[in-house]
Amino acid sequence: MRALVIDDSRAMRRIVSGILIGLGYEVRDAGHGREGLDVLDEGWIPDLVCVDWNMPVMDGLQFVSAVRSNPAWRSVTIMMVTSESEHTQIVRALAAGAHEYVIKPFTADAIHDKLALLGLLPQEVSL
Amino acid sequence: MSTAHTGGIDTGERRRSGDGRPVITDLIDEPTVQSIVEDAWVALVGEDEVLIPLAGEPIGDVVSAWVDVVGPWTGSVVLTTGRQTAAELTRALLAESSPELLEDEDVADAFGEIANVVGGNVKAALPGSSALSLPEVGEAPAVRNPEDVVRLDVLWRGQPLSISAQGALPPLPVPHPPPGGQSPHENGASL
Repeated sequence: MRALVIDDSRAMRRIVSGILIGLGYEVRDAGHGREGLDVLDEGWIPDLVCVDWNMPVMDGLQFVSAVRSNPAWRSVTIMMVTSESEHTQIVRALAAGAHEYVIKPFTADAIHDKLALLGLLPQEVSL
Repeated sequence: MSTAHTGGIDTGERRRSGDGRPVITDLIDEPTVQSIVEDAWVALVGEDEVLIPLAGEPIGDVVSAWVDVVGPWTGSVVLTTGRQTAAELTRALLAESSPELLEDEDVADAFGEIANVVGGNVKAALPGSSALSLPEVGEAPAVRNPEDVVRLDVLWRGQPLSISAQGALPPLPVPHPPPGGQSPHENGASL
């Protein structure tokens, strides 16, 4: 399975990517929403996108809206991974088309549990 | 302009900023900030990492990372520590993916992300809706109103670290992604 991690913090990209690689994902990353769309435009379509909210150039909410406006990317599951934890922000993200929402700080177990709920655990770790 | 006290009764007026906006001590208390910081520490730095509530003097140069919050309360959430401690924090955050040789931009990025997580959760604990800026790293913004500050002093691995939510007078501008990307993320604001 493929995952795209989009966060302007390299540290956070490494952390999230490390968790997903440990779960068996093939991972690419991007530093903001526009770079993330570039990856999809290349034809590298992930099963899962983990995207931060506050980023320069294109933020996570704009990214979600852009992905959802393209029918070719309908199969992509989007999980917001962000420190934006206000209820109104969560509602906005889900309304825009995100499937799940993880609030920073998070643990690897939290990511695992969300992916299990989404049915997106690669076979070998799905118990 | 309001006065500090009225007939010996504390009306709360003295704690408010000149234009009637609330000060941070009206909105969030120290234990709440401490809880936010401890949660961030466990998740980001490590489960066994302990923060001891003691003040200390950083050895050598200090560095700060902060995010601005703009809303009913406007100010900054600031983390300050010694540069060496910020580098240690970066190694702890990155764990096995930490590069052998840390560059300044690695430290700015990681320290900024910790400020982002702490600041985002402080923002969420405040009433009403607020905007959060991208993190910045460098010399901390000045404390503009000493009564509009909640500050924690802790020791991490024996090294001092302070976390403060400090009000901004006059108000800070509404955060936008900085032109050309001046945040520590990706663009490596120097330490």
